[in-house]
Amino acid sequence: MKAFRIPRLLQFVLVPVVVYAVTRLIFDVLLGQLIPASLMTMYMFFVLAGTFMAFTFTEDGTRELVAPIKALVEDPSRKWLRNVVFVVLPLALGFYTYQLRTPKPEAPLELRSIHPAPPSTVKAYDKRFNLLTLENPYRKLQKEDPEAFAEMVAAGAAVYIENCQYCHGDKLDGRGPYAQGLNPVPANFQDVGTIAQLQESYLFWRIATGGPGLPKEAAPWISSMPIWQDFLSEEETWQVILYLYDYTGHAPRSWEHE
Amino acid sequence: MRGVAMKLILAAALVVVCGLAAPVQAKPGNAENGEKIYEKRCLGCHGEEGDGLGPAAEYLIPPPRDFTLGLYKIKTTAFDDDIPNDDDLFRMIRDGMPGTAMPGWSDMLSEQEIWDLVAHLKIYAGLEEETPSKQLDYGSQVATSEDSVEKGRKLFHDGDRCSECHGAEGKGDAIKKLKNDNGDRTWPRNLTKPWTYRASSDPKDIYARISVGIPNTQMPSFADPKSKKKLSVEERWHIANYVVALTKKGLEVRPENTVVKAKRIDGEIPAAIDDQAWLQSEPVTFMLVPQIIAKDRFFTPANDTISVRALYNERDIAFLLEWDDRTKSIPGDAKAESIADPEMGQDAVMMQFPVTIPLGAEKPYFLKGDAGHPVNLWHWTSGTTEAEAAVAMLDGLGMAQQTPREDGGGGLTTGSGYQDGTWRVIMKRSLTTDDAENDLQFEEGRFIPIAFANWDGSNSEIDSRQTITTWYWLQLEPSASAEPYISGIVVALLVFGALVWWARGAARPGEAA
Ligand code: HEC
Ligand code: HEC
Repeated sequence: MKAFRIPRLLQFVLVPVVVYAVTRLIFDVLLGQLIPASLMTMYMFFVLAGTFMAFTFTEDGTRELVAPIKALVEDPSRKWLRNVVFVVLPLALGFYTYQLRTPKPEAPLELRSIHPAPPSTVKAYDKRFNLLTLENPYRKLQKEDPEAFAEMVAAGAAVYIENCQYCHGDKLDGRGPYAQGLNPVPANFQDVGTIAQLQESYLFWRIATGGPGLPKEAAPWISSMPIWQDFLSEEETWQVILYLYDYTGHAPRSWEHE
Repeated sequence: MRGVAMKLILAAALVVVCGLAAPVQAKPGNAENGEKIYEKRCLGCHGEEGDGLGPAAEYLIPPPRDFTLGLYKIKTTAFDDDIPNDDDLFRMIRDGMPGTAMPGWSDMLSEQEIWDLVAHLKIYAGLEEETPSKQLDYGSQVATSEDSVEKGRKLFHDGDRCSECHGAEGKGDAIKKLKNDNGDRTWPRNLTKPWTYRASSDPKDIYARISVGIPNTQMPSFADPKSKKKLSVEERWHIANYVVALTKKGLEVRPENTVVKAKRIDGEIPAAIDDQAWLQSEPVTFMLVPQIIAKDRFFTPANDTISVRALYNERDIAFLLEWDDRTKSIPGDAKAESIADPEMGQDAVMMQFPVTIPLGAEKPYFLKGDAGHPVNLWHWTSGTTEAEAAVAMLDGLGMAQQTPREDGGGGLTTGSGYQDGTWRVIMKRSLTTDDAENDLQFEEGRFIPIAFANWDGSNSEIDSRQTITTWYWLQLEPSASAEPYISGIVVALLVFGALVWWARGAARPGEAA
């Protein structure tokens, strides 16, 4: 008895489908990081091209791959299947074309990556910062000099109330008085999915360079986050970061624990 | 049988109403604990000393309450008793004050913690030992009806009782300058916008405000027997019902409304702002946000929403923009200048489009475009005593780079009018122009990004001091067309033909090999 084997044509179809599904599962569901459509399209193109090359590498392989397709028109016993394919395929493609040509009543969806990967270095305050090693210069006071630390946090609170609460809310919940008028909505720092997942150097990058400093996959053209290096000093930026963690009770992510 | 059922329903309704209306039971708060919470949550706005002078004070209108005065805006004790009920304070802390920076705290603080805060706040004005002596008399509520609303309408306008400050249509288009007791500029409420009511637009709340007034502001009490404009309990309920009726304008912001749908019409596009033809287009309302992003930032806006309608025909497209603005700002006009804040500008509005309709997600930067992605800016200004209202066309490459077209209008035409606290402005252009490189070419069915900006000149809104919106969409509603069906059928036939051709080729074994 011959062991069951998935037909080669089906294998050829399954490989890209499984790759696609697993990628989506890992990034969208498990990591909560949407992959931009353009990147996914490019990636799937390579997967398809690679699969095609692998499957047509030997002549026997190629023959086995196309055999079921050829059989469709050559093998009289498959006639009924041929008839079905010959009706369904044109109808499906016709319908797809119709859909493509009909103007959509729904506005286009805007997918964007919310916490894009940071660059390794960033230019701000006329300097270059290495984000891999950058640390909040005042964080160490938390242990060394709690009183001085509390002063730093209080200074950060003033910076926040004067500059940030309009959008991010004075409860840091992303629901400030103007939040409703913005799209994308301001980040909610109380949520465990924002600053609790990030390093202070990441926040420094996001605050100093603002919306326009985002990479393309994060749609910088719609982010209303100001470029804060134009308004806050480097010191104030670090102070307000201390305040965000202090008020919400979250701890910044750091390399040491990983 | 019916009678019994009726009674049961009434009884149930009564239970529900009483349950809702029952005052929150005041509980003794722990002022010490309240102080701790205050330091963490409230100090930034209300200040270390409770005097309302926290770091943000100068950026907020209205400013945070100064607790040392012991005067509260929203209270339900009698008009001649300054002391608020604990319940009143509890409620404002729990629910917040819409239209101001004061948020509701119920999602972050427990009831007990809020009572603790109440106990702490009272200390700032030495109110901890005081109890209010007189409560507001609600009498018996008059249910709303056409008759009651009509009576209320008459009383509202009688001797300019309310319209003196709130305007003929209730939009707060004041004809005089109002200040609160601290000398800060205040504006009468736009009563057609219930989302800006500090308490709520429930008739019971409105009744309370009319009866008590709003302490520390010029909103007076109409229960005061010494007032020339005083009203009986019943009359106050009629006015409350009328004010509730004013709130139903259908121009509120709905988060699901992100698309301006331009309606196709036959014949000419109306040139007059009050033409009935505009009603064919469903208005969409967007929130205006102060420009707090680029230099110079602006924190204290006057206008909060803008509504848009659009019509198009085979040649042109036109927009009717409508927004409430308490003041018609005409620089040079003595009366307008007497109401305005110093440094007065014109009222203005701007529409923004990308020069090319984006194919993918990438758009110009929403704040007047960017170097790689130019935008068209249609800029209408209300005029001065010397110049008429006009529209100009600008090319935008960012906030700091907005260049007016040499020919001025860029093919735009306009019409406008101001009445009872509302501006209506039409801007019109041909769907296509012969300068496709610099002008947006409108296309049926496509989703075209659109954004707005607004200036209230009397509020010193000039240049970058403006309110803005984020990108929304414009769609010229496609006329029904057979094209998609035809394309679909053609493709289906072509594919079928190809399959048959392939099958026939395969059927001749000699050639296939
Ligand atoms: C972001 C700034 C901000 C914060 C934080 C804030 N408030 Fe306010 N609060 C305001 C403003 C602004 C007003 C005045 C609104 C008005 O006059 O219409 C106000 C008014 C009040 C009032 C007056 C209500 C009335 O009827 O007059 C009370 C009470 C109050 N706040 C309590 C608190 C408490 C307690 C906290 C902390 C838990 C707090 N606020 C935090 C901005 C703030
Ligand atoms: C002298 C001017 C003046 C007159 C007359 C006046 N108001 Fe007001 N009213 C104001 C001001 C100012 C405010 C806003 C106060 C503030 O800053 O919160 C206000 C606010 C209100 C509010 C808002 C309540 C809330 O919860 O936010 C209502 C409702 C109202 N007025 C109704 C009336 C009615 C009804 C009348 C006539 C019976 C009237 N007003 C007459 C000046 C006036």
